[in-house]
Amino acid sequence: MELLSAGGLSKRFGGIVALNEASFSATAGEVHALLGENGAGKSTFIQILAGVLRADQGRILLDGADYAPRDPDAAARRGIVTVFQELSSIPDLSVEGNIWFRREPRTVLRTVSWREVRRRTEALFDRYRFPAIHPGQDLRRLGLAERQIVEIAKALAQEPRILVLDEATSALAARETEWLLDLTRRLAGEGRLVVFISHRMGEVRAVADRLTIFRGGRTVAAHVAGNVTDDEIVTEMIGRRLERLYPQRVAHATDRIAVEARGLSSGPRLPGVTFDMKEGEVLGVGGLQGHGQRELFQALFGVSRSQGEMRLWGRPAAISSPRDALVGRDGIALVPEDRRGQGLLLSKSVRENLTLAVIRRMSRRGVLLRDAEAALVKEMVDFLHIKVSTPEQQADTLSGGNQQKVIFGKMLLTEARVLLLYDPTRGVDVGTKSEIFQLMRDLAAKGYAILFYSSDLQELVNVADRVMVLREGRVAAMLEGEDLSEGAILRAALFDEAA
Amino acid sequence: MSDSPKPRGRFDRLMSAWVRSLDRTPFLVALIMLAAIVVARSRFQSGVFSLEELNLATASALTLMLAAAGQTIVLIRGGIDLSIGGVISLGTVLAATTFGDDPLQVAGWSLVILAIGFAIGALNGVLITVLRLQPFLVTLAGWSILTGIALTILPTDGGSVPSWWTGFGYSIFLGLSGPVWVLMALILFWYWFRATRLGIVIQATGSSERSAVLSGVSILRANIATYGLSGLFAAAAALYLTTQTGTGSPLIGRDYILPSVAAAVVGGVSLFGGRGHLVGTIIGAFILTIIGDLVFALRVSSYWQPVMAGLILLGAVLASSLAEKSAKGQDR
Repeated sequence: MELLSAGGLSKRFGGIVALNEASFSATAGEVHALLGENGAGKSTFIQILAGVLRADQGRILLDGADYAPRDPDAAARRGIVTVFQELSSIPDLSVEGNIWFRREPRTVLRTVSWREVRRRTEALFDRYRFPAIHPGQDLRRLGLAERQIVEIAKALAQEPRILVLDEATSALAARETEWLLDLTRRLAGEGRLVVFISHRMGEVRAVADRLTIFRGGRTVAAHVAGNVTDDEIVTEMIGRRLERLYPQRVAHATDRIAVEARGLSSGPRLPGVTFDMKEGEVLGVGGLQGHGQRELFQALFGVSRSQGEMRLWGRPAAISSPRDALVGRDGIALVPEDRRGQGLLLSKSVRENLTLAVIRRMSRRGVLLRDAEAALVKEMVDFLHIKVSTPEQQADTLSGGNQQKVIFGKMLLTEARVLLLYDPTRGVDVGTKSEIFQLMRDLAAKGYAILFYSSDLQELVNVADRVMVLREGRVAAMLEGEDLSEGAILRAALFDEAA
Repeated sequence: MSDSPKPRGRFDRLMSAWVRSLDRTPFLVALIMLAAIVVARSRFQSGVFSLEELNLATASALTLMLAAAGQTIVLIRGGIDLSIGGVISLGTVLAATTFGDDPLQVAGWSLVILAIGFAIGALNGVLITVLRLQPFLVTLAGWSILTGIALTILPTDGGSVPSWWTGFGYSIFLGLSGPVWVLMALILFWYWFRATRLGIVIQATGSSERSAVLSGVSILRANIATYGLSGLFAAAAALYLTTQTGTGSPLIGRDYILPSVAAAVVGGVSLFGGRGHLVGTIIGAFILTIIGDLVFALRVSSYWQPVMAGLILLGAVLASSLAEKSAKGQDR
């Protein structure tokens, strides 16, 4: 008996067809993966399910009855709750304030009973074995992973029959991902339906009972997970065979040291790291989340204050602001963690975003040279295969992968030759991922030095020349060649190497 | 490399202690400033720590406090309300032209004035939401229009209110003046309001409007409540003001627009929404009011009062912004 079934679903946005007679069907008690490249229509579909959007055509049946929610509240009343990729967390409320927002238990005075809120929060955390987060802490003090976990708690607090997880693991590190996958299985075991969206095939393999594949707004296939190979899935997702996800890794590292860090420290989470980064090298950064990776990137880019010695291309460097970092041909550029919030001006065009950091270089006596700008923008759009109708297209209309490419373009235009990439493939589809990896290797070949953090160990192992594992803000291991494997990274992240 | 954690600087430790205390008590800066001013005054004048002094200071600060209470809610919502200047002017004019000597009639018209204040605010909320306009511009226009209406009703200061009405500021009940009782009611209201779902929704919407919408908040309802309350408090400020001045004044409201914002900011309310506490605003209003008394006690020219007020504003903003920056740097 199908719990949820949809047929003939269509949705247009102006001239763009987001969903084209898509269908979907899933039963209670299963984990159902929804796969597809960015722009395949997955987001539109789950937004319709969640009551954020309304379909132009088609119908959805929930338990055999018509289902067309007018808002997320109505969806929740029917038992469907969605954890969106774009988090709905409120920075100035506490963890528990976020979890129970608008559903707080109240006293006779109609005020929120914070004691009852705390009790319920602890019961919820207990029941689903949540990672330790203090319920009273303000959300703005938490990192992306913890916010993601709070978001999941907020969804579970509504006791959904159908839980939709949209890229919920993309912000999580290995251990938390493990927990979430486990949780997903348990929820299915309780007879609920989990619709699981992820770009990481390993996770899909680990949890999904069945999977549905979208491409170009259509449903192209539905499988029982055991009856289909990874290759078949990828082929169906991208509509062609992807030769390989990871590019050939040819070592291009020279003896020239691009970045020399000696006892670089910043705040309690980064007591001090010492490492060298060579010209032409992709240096991976691994470790459990929250062990100083973010702080390292922020210190190198001058976002936060740091102490210790640092040399850039052999010269002592004092970087106390991103402006210092970006200055000159041999500067440092960053692809930040939160691309919508920190990397892009969403309401500006692709052109403006690309040239923002180099506007001075394209101006003469303060006047912008339009032709020079247009030429440069075209070059970048072509080079990176950014899919736009025109460079004037607004940045927030692009898919996640294309937004990430714009950020790469912006960074390349600065002529910085040290690149800091913080989880650059987070929430990016498999086709674009492969393009990004290829680009990284190409840039390394051209003599760039690249520092690459990824929450996906497989990416580190397959793309980086060496991997520096951080534990408690120190270098726990530097792995390369034969020694570089997912297991070795995890061991170094968890245990003393002496063990 | 040694494995012992590197000792952190004294500055860092002091700063994170400061951030933690500010987190617990967002109006700490204002509290310290108020204490400093009161202590400074007590060096020059006697009787600063008396009940009588509390009664007097509250009587002169209460109009600003009421106006700033509404402003605080709007600021926490992430907006600003300039129309309170117009509501206050119109409120005093209506009171001075409609109040007779009959207490029942006065009470009736007071309720009407409060309702008008709420309705004007609610209209602001609707316009801001439905037309997607900037709160600054909508309420600026509102201020102008309402001032014009007030001037049409009463071109110059005038009208009258009953004499028992103007005695309110001096009335004493259980040793405390009427204004002090109003102030206590205001504080009680706040502690109740901030714990209601509506209070939380308004704060959340100011913190992140997009997230609030994704969580199912109706922005229209939130804005109607926010600006409606602001209008209501402005009308209450107008009613209290007439007990002090005894007349209707069609232009007097503008004296409260920016001070209401200043009182809130000195009290630690964020201009970017999401954060603030009415007790902070009340302390801010006290500071801005008694700073004049301090200038008087110091026997310097009264022109120094706005200079001092400006410096206090800068100091308060600086103290909380330092804490904010350091919080982002250290605790993420």
